[in-house]
Amino acid sequence: MTIRTVLRLPAGQPENPKMTPPRTVQPTTGRRPVLGALAIIGYMVMIVPILFVVAAAFSGGDSLQFPPESFSLKWFAAAASYKPFMTALVSSAQLAVLATVLALIIGVPAALALQRSTFAGKGWVQGLFLSPLIVPELVVGLALYQQLIAGLGTATFTALLVGHTALLIPYAVRVTGASLALADPFVEEAARGLGARPFKVFTSVTLPLLRPGIVSAALLSFVTSFNNVPLSLLLQGRTFNTLPVSMLDYVQKSYDPMIAAMSTLILAATIVFAFIAERTVGFATIFGGINK
Amino acid sequence: MTIAAQLRDVSQVFGDFTAVDGINLDIASQKLTTLLGPSGCGKTTTLRMIAGYSQPTSGSILINGKDATRLPPEKRNLGMVFQSYALFPHMSVADNVGYGLKLRKVAGPERRKRVTEALDMVGLGHLAERRPKALSGGQQQRVALARAIAIRPDILLLDEPLSNLDARLRLQMRAEIRRIQQETGLTVVLVTHDQEEALEMSDDMVLMRSGKIMQQGSPQDVFQRPANRFVAEFMGYENFFATPEHAQATVRPENLQLIGRGETLNSGAHNLPAVITQIAYRGVDVMVRATATDSTGTAVDLLASVRADSGATSRLRLEPGAEITAAIRPADLVPLAE
Amino acid sequence: MLSKKSSLLLLGPGLLFILIGFCLPALMLLLAPPGISSGQVFARLGRMLQDPYDLTIIGRTMGLGLLVTVLCLALGFPIALLLARSTSRWSGMLLALAIFPLLLSNVVRTYGWLVLLGQNGVIGQVISAMGLPAPQLLYTESAIVLGLLQLFLPLAIVSCYSAVAQVDAGLDDAARGLGASRTRVLWTVTLPLSLPGVIVAATLVFAGSTTAYTTPYLLGGSNQRMLATQLFNYSTVSIDWSAASAVAMIMTVLVFAVSAVSAAVGKKGRIS
Repeated sequence: MTIRTVLRLPAGQPENPKMTPPRTVQPTTGRRPVLGALAIIGYMVMIVPILFVVAAAFSGGDSLQFPPESFSLKWFAAAASYKPFMTALVSSAQLAVLATVLALIIGVPAALALQRSTFAGKGWVQGLFLSPLIVPELVVGLALYQQLIAGLGTATFTALLVGHTALLIPYAVRVTGASLALADPFVEEAARGLGARPFKVFTSVTLPLLRPGIVSAALLSFVTSFNNVPLSLLLQGRTFNTLPVSMLDYVQKSYDPMIAAMSTLILAATIVFAFIAERTVGFATIFGGINK
Repeated sequence: MTIAAQLRDVSQVFGDFTAVDGINLDIASQKLTTLLGPSGCGKTTTLRMIAGYSQPTSGSILINGKDATRLPPEKRNLGMVFQSYALFPHMSVADNVGYGLKLRKVAGPERRKRVTEALDMVGLGHLAERRPKALSGGQQQRVALARAIAIRPDILLLDEPLSNLDARLRLQMRAEIRRIQQETGLTVVLVTHDQEEALEMSDDMVLMRSGKIMQQGSPQDVFQRPANRFVAEFMGYENFFATPEHAQATVRPENLQLIGRGETLNSGAHNLPAVITQIAYRGVDVMVRATATDSTGTAVDLLASVRADSGATSRLRLEPGAEITAAIRPADLVPLAE
Repeated sequence: MLSKKSSLLLLGPGLLFILIGFCLPALMLLLAPPGISSGQVFARLGRMLQDPYDLTIIGRTMGLGLLVTVLCLALGFPIALLLARSTSRWSGMLLALAIFPLLLSNVVRTYGWLVLLGQNGVIGQVISAMGLPAPQLLYTESAIVLGLLQLFLPLAIVSCYSAVAQVDAGLDDAARGLGASRTRVLWTVTLPLSLPGVIVAATLVFAGSTTAYTTPYLLGGSNQRMLATQLFNYSTVSIDWSAASAVAMIMTVLVFAVSAVSAAVGKKGRIS
């Protein structure tokens, strides 16, 4: 319930960079003690727990305690060689990639149609494509479990794929739609006027314009799917497990720093991921929906 | 004179709203025709119908003698320059200009030659490898122009191409576009709301209002003999009054002669007794506002532009409250239709 | 403009997928779970709304949700305000720092609280070291609040940031030129104008915290059930389908209602 809820921001014009008001010089934290203090508390709440996770991962002891009795990298080795985690890691990655691809295949044409055409009931259709955002993920997971797995005997992976794809479609639609809205709507007409048939217009003009939006949507979708817990919770099977749920299970059973180590590994990978995101379209744009 | 395009009884109706109301228009070949009017008059709608981006609700459009009413834009071989330029941001300037040529399967070397030609014509040969976003507004506009010209279109259509430019560039580009049109002999249809622009650039002016054509003619015709009040006002006329012969007439401020009360101009001039309300010295001329009574007894506001070195300024007492006569020579009087 | 035929082609498959793969199962869960009629679901819902145990859970969920929302705004809005109005070159980094946690799974983010609040956790040890009896920190409502606060702060910050950023900074200057103190400007100019966006932020946080699973599960234990953990229980432990559907219905209606408020406010408050 984190990134996905970011996109519940009301539909509207993406902030037009040309309309950003000019910045005047404003005093910052130093001269606003109350706001500054609140801000510091806020950052501490967000960051400190994560720091402790990282610190705990380096402990040399056998149980989670702080401060640790010794320092060691052994739990990293343990996490990296723990079969259930590694299998789940691969599974989560496969699921995320596949779901992202499917969501884009469905969402990009939909965004195109919604932006570039008018018809009665368009609002309803748009609402339908965004509807997975307003149903709690746990409910969706349960529904799919009930209807697909218990009801139709579908394979675990298939049910997960359906659920994750549905979850990611609103991203594909919203994010690519936003990048389309930012482009000059007349470039497609210009291409037509110069003699390009509709399909050629799409491949030579529309698709390249969509690329930043598609990349953003892909990154956002991958992360959302990979980290997902509630939807995937009820859809785990003997043959297929996702990483966050495996970690959740592990916490119930054991109180050692294995999770801390695994989390730290994930954190490192995520930092790399964030850098990639920053180099492509811009970190704040993708994950915050903030156009600077 | 050949006709490049014809519109026959063309209408465009959106629900309750009639954007274009049964117009008949001939676009002459190798001439620059302007569609001029206030916003909402239907000029851009008309242009887009000629281009093929929207279909007329009724009527027909012929291009080079053939019925093109239902033809999609990609089959019309017309070049269009959009108000926002609509350059392809992911392509270089050269690729933008060459886009239409590539579609027409023009071979590499020939295509490069024609791209260079088009860019040179607009003076941007040195920017061929730049991206649109690295260009200024004026440069982008010229690339858009080059892109449309490169395909050697049957008609070049321009939708308010100069309105996003600053005043100085606008003046520059007016001359540029006119020069290009005359050098290449292209048929050009240009949409604008600026009457100065239209006067300067056109061979043929078409004034539109509320979807109808109010007057069509050469710049001289339209300027010196506006057909009705709307056209006159749009072309900058002030002074609207009645005379014994005409219910509505007008005269340009420069042609309004100011003489003393009780005096008359010879040669059958029309005289209006007036009282000065405001004087503004503007260096080259003096602007005089006055209230007068026309032949029906109606009070009318008059605006006269009197050269500062003329006899009137020295002879008459030009100050608010002064009683004068405003006289108009028959040649200067412009009668208007209802 | 695309033709009706092309639009249909582009939208058709996706529409089909959403309807069959998502809408249909969801509706069936809510109204027609296996072996149970919708009548029974509604009946169970009715009983649930009168049962003290269930009501406690519902009340706790809403109450904690509200508390988390208020705290998120109290901490998140100042951060958003300072970042949006800052001209320092660190503001971009700090914004990224606030958004970054959204890239981590809730398990990773919440786990840190186990380290901090557990029996042998940091805080417990610090308090013991001072000679005081170690309080029960984990598996309390406070723990849940802290966890949810951490989880939803980035969201609140991002939403409030957008809201504040679209308020003309020149207005602050105008107000101060007229004699208003910085605090007065905040309360009479900045806050009212960014209110629609702030309300949207509140609805997002509220919707999220009332339907959260991972954090209440890890930090609340079985004594501090919330709607989501209760739903899980009905689905896997007691396998009570009508109860599960009833809880699912409550959760869904809650989120729907909150989204409707958000959409209405968003529409009204748009200044452009």
